[in-house]
Amino acid sequence: MKHGKSWLPAHILAWAYAALLLVPLYYLLASAFKTNEEIFASPFSLPTSLSFGNFGTAFESADLGLAVVNSALVTAFSLALTLALAIPAAFAVARSTGRLGAFVEKVFSLGFLIPTFAALFPTFLLAAATGLFHTRMFMVLFLPATAMPLSVVILVQFMRTIPKEMEEAARIDGASTFGVLRHVYTPMCMPGIATVLLLNFLTFWNEYLYSLVIIGPDPSQRTVQVALPTLKSLTGTDYGVLTAGTVLTLVPVWAVYTVLQKRMQQALVSGAVKM
Amino acid sequence: MRSTMSRRGFLAAGSGLAAATALPALPALAGCSTLASADSDPDTLVVHSQLGTTAPGSPTYLSALNTFRDENPGLKVKNLVNGDDLAQVYETSRLARKEPDVVMVNLYDKTLAWTDVGATVDVKGYMDDWGLRKRVLPVALDAWTDGKGRLRAFPYFATNWPVAYNTALLESAGVDAIPTTGDQLISAARKLRAKGIAPVTVGGNDWTGQKLLAQIIQTFLTPDEARKVFTSGDFSGSRGAREGIEYFTALRDAGVFADKAQGLTSDTMTTQFNTGAAAIQSAMSSALAKVPDKIARHTDVGGWPLAPGAAHAKPTILRTYTLIGFWISPNGTKKLDSVEKFLRFMYRPDTVTRFVKESGRDMALRSDTLSTDFPLVAEAQKLGDDVSEALLPDVYVPPAATQPLITATSTAFTRGTSPARVRSVLEAAYRTA
Repeated sequence: MKHGKSWLPAHILAWAYAALLLVPLYYLLASAFKTNEEIFASPFSLPTSLSFGNFGTAFESADLGLAVVNSALVTAFSLALTLALAIPAAFAVARSTGRLGAFVEKVFSLGFLIPTFAALFPTFLLAAATGLFHTRMFMVLFLPATAMPLSVVILVQFMRTIPKEMEEAARIDGASTFGVLRHVYTPMCMPGIATVLLLNFLTFWNEYLYSLVIIGPDPSQRTVQVALPTLKSLTGTDYGVLTAGTVLTLVPVWAVYTVLQKRMQQALVSGAVKM
Repeated sequence: MRSTMSRRGFLAAGSGLAAATALPALPALAGCSTLASADSDPDTLVVHSQLGTTAPGSPTYLSALNTFRDENPGLKVKNLVNGDDLAQVYETSRLARKEPDVVMVNLYDKTLAWTDVGATVDVKGYMDDWGLRKRVLPVALDAWTDGKGRLRAFPYFATNWPVAYNTALLESAGVDAIPTTGDQLISAARKLRAKGIAPVTVGGNDWTGQKLLAQIIQTFLTPDEARKVFTSGDFSGSRGAREGIEYFTALRDAGVFADKAQGLTSDTMTTQFNTGAAAIQSAMSSALAKVPDKIARHTDVGGWPLAPGAAHAKPTILRTYTLIGFWISPNGTKKLDSVEKFLRFMYRPDTVTRFVKESGRDMALRSDTLSTDFPLVAEAQKLGDDVSEALLPDVYVPPAATQPLITATSTAFTRGTSPARVRSVLEAAYRTA
């Protein structure tokens, strides 16, 4: 297929944009193999050595292995709880035709208006009062609460696109309400569920402020976002080690993003055919 | 679609699903639920520190901790590490009454208020009861004692803060001697610039710039006057402060500082000096310890050049004894036996010697050991009376003014900013406090 010259500006812009996105990624990766002197003296030059020394130092000194496990635990359980709560909630709101349903939907939407910082102190007080301060458990309960507005709003929109005839057919076959959710709505909402999973995974994994304050600095509990800044020092930071540590913490994000993005695309296509 | 679950069953199943996702997590997520402080394990001493990863002195500290554990098999020690956010994390832990037992941090910014608000305790009595007072330099005890006579923490790390001169670069530019006056410094800066070398590199956008600015302002101030000025923030009301700021702007506009110094940070400062891109820096011991050998061989340490009529007889350096101290928390007072063992161990001469020799740290404790593997640190330790000492303003600046002062510092390092404008932004930083 041949494209005319009119495509040229679009190609140039697209490639320029892609290059623009690659620059910080390259800088991060290249810096992970350099010393401070090399990073500051020639930031965009290729590294002179491909030694993994900085990675080893970052991994050991910040105990990143355990921190990744903690982050994975908090993120996985938070995601499970988010879905367990958001799917039924969205199902109920999407099927509701009354004023109460509309009101509940608006209440969920209001959650977007709460600024992160504004909730920090009340959340801290809640954690202290419940005896869950300095635990990962509190974050597992708290993160889904912060994710509910977005998750429910997204899923409601997906569920509303499902024809009522599908539910009616299932009812005729003897399906209960739970059966309808399980066998009709959930499979057909996989694109939405994948989207919710992906967005929330990124949010949960990268969460810093609440994890710092609530979970705290205990190496046996702290998440990777709390462990990473310990590589930074007011009296002299080794940026090679810091960027190497950052790259290590990005690997799980990259892996999950790649997997879920494919699933999301597959689900979108298959959903379109089914519908 | 054979499910025949009723609405009630559906609700039950939903609840069960939610519980099923959460319950298996409980042991894993809440097993090590607290910081194992006073309210949990009485045999565990929890220490909160900035040492433990890549901060200077961390390897020695971790190794010393292991030695302490070996010597005290019945006592567990948990080391919690935070970087710049340590104070914030400690304060929230304290609010929840789950703070660690001992905190290792400097006396600066937020920590200045800790003793006053009861976040940590007065350690004066413990210092005497445990017989550790004789181990501490008297000047360090003074620095850690507040206006009400309370000893805020057990002093530990100190630092010399001299000016490092790369003599090879100076000679290559035709400067034969280290400048000791402002005129000599301006002349040296012109010659260095002609050779394409940055003269004085400084983090004009962070604490390093703030300290150097404070040091230069003190050129015409006695220690008592300096204390008064930095406590009140009245830079216009002090003739010496006014003259010091005029001296600073004269040096700045004569090109003494590296280009765009107002945007540089401590990291760019040390990198410019360590790569030979700049000839002069004002550097604390931890930065001097990191100067590479090839640069250190041609580096001398001294003081900041003076102006005619200065209040000091010799070029000035900064010294502080408040870099790191051991603070005891209210939780720590419930485990005094463990805390005492830990403090006695950290104050032991062999432990102190390790920090000096292995990490090149300056100590606030009595020790004759020199940092032989860190020649510039050792040189700075030997400066003694060859230099005059300017006051480190950290203890006198109100905590709330600390960050605004750093912003004001960046304005001060911007070329063309008049002395009156510099005074104005510095005073504005105090007014926001």
